[in-house]
Amino acid sequence: MLDVSRVQKELVEIERDKKLSGVSVEISEGDLTRMRGTINGPGGTPYEGGIFIVDIQLPSAYPFEPPKMQFVTKVWHPNVSSQNGAICLDILKDQWSPALTLKTALLSLQALLSTPEPDDPQDAVVAQQYLRDYATFVGTARYWTETFAKRGSLGIQEKLAKLVEMGFSEDAAKVALESCGGDENAALEKLCSG
Amino acid sequence: MDTETGGEKERPRDDEIQAFHNQIRAADAEKLEFVGDKEPLSVLEDEYKAGSAVFLAKLQILKENYGSIRRARGDGNCFFRSFMFSYLEHLIVTQDEAEIARVEKSIEICKQTLIDLGHAEFTFEDFLGIFVEQLQSVIQGKETSISLDTLVERCRDQYVSNYVVMFFRFVTSGEIRRRAEFFEPFIQGMSNMSVVQFCRSSVEPMGEESDHVHITALSDALGVPVRVVYLDQSGDINDKPVTVNNHDFIPEGMDTSVDPYVILLYRPGHYDILYRRENPANVEPTILEQKN
Repeated sequence: MLDVSRVQKELVEIERDKKLSGVSVEISEGDLTRMRGTINGPGGTPYEGGIFIVDIQLPSAYPFEPPKMQFVTKVWHPNVSSQNGAICLDILKDQWSPALTLKTALLSLQALLSTPEPDDPQDAVVAQQYLRDYATFVGTARYWTETFAKRGSLGIQEKLAKLVEMGFSEDAAKVALESCGGDENAALEKLCSG
Repeated sequence: MDTETGGEKERPRDDEIQAFHNQIRAADAEKLEFVGDKEPLSVLEDEYKAGSAVFLAKLQILKENYGSIRRARGDGNCFFRSFMFSYLEHLIVTQDEAEIARVEKSIEICKQTLIDLGHAEFTFEDFLGIFVEQLQSVIQGKETSISLDTLVERCRDQYVSNYVVMFFRFVTSGEIRRRAEFFEPFIQGMSNMSVVQFCRSSVEPMGEESDHVHITALSDALGVPVRVVYLDQSGDINDKPVTVNNHDFIPEGMDTSVDPYVILLYRPGHYDILYRRENPANVEPTILEQKN
């Protein structure tokens, strides 16, 4: 059974410290096992200025089993799947310890953004680019941050709602927005031409 | 943007890896409780009948002083689970209230160490609480008193056992980091990790195996003397006499002639609980070698 009191204590601590730590957590209504974490992209990296959303699921054996974490915001990073946001990080697997918390796990993700480990990749394509063509990697990672993780792109839901209002299906609108890097006009053009 | 990611299919997702780990552990659980029943040492003879002559020779020596064994599950937590049961059993047998008062003071110091090292108290207070609860229930004649059978049950209960193991892992990690200068050379002798890295990757996660660094740290931090008897392949059967090595971990400030409260049998990669013979007087004098 989930250790509810422990999770509640963790949430209080994260809330208390979120300005300083650069990570925060919101729970889904009434469900302590499902949360959304946010991580501020670390300064001096291609992720600077971005706000990255992480889906968090707590297994019933938490904290004896690691939380399941996956990026919702698209990230170009050797240790994160560019397709589905799956993360390769030891503390989310066999190196997890009940001594760690959701906050320390999110801080570790933030540290991972600063210090990729291309030799232990989740996304082989990104890792290869990182190792062979670092300048292009930085450019792509920055572009993805601008496109998917910046405040402007946080309005993506609004853009989506607008397109749906115009009569396009939500799925099609989403695909179009994503393929145009969040550019609403380009997406509209694409939808009309498609 | 090109979304072709060829490497992904080859790599299982985190939750798949985790599920696989759990599967292995569950399979293990069916084979043996966290701590087994007390068995005569002769069960090991059967185990090694077809095995190494050195083992068998050492077993004979072992039998002069030790009569029984209680196995611990080989899930990487065997040292901590063995320590937990062996120490609590020692207290239930001796009814040593002064020792409980003493160890409770040590626990307070450990708690302060963890706070000083930056651990939020809520991350360990529940684990600490469960261990203290066990300590307080071993003295007989109280409402909360438990029998030896109940102690066995509790040490087989996943909740109680894992909580206490995790408390010991916290204490061990705290002691190693508090005395980093002392432990550093031992840690570097085994790995090229820093003290902090070692604690994060080899002490704090459940299922990480223990060695002399962990034992020294836990024994020192709680002030509990531990003996480890080594049943391994070292030595040559043609060299007479074959000796069984043992090592007493005596906390600082304690008389080195103290009889250890916890006795463990080490076979490569695994710890079990060992019991002295009930009447060792009528056997040959011991040739156990003290190696400190």
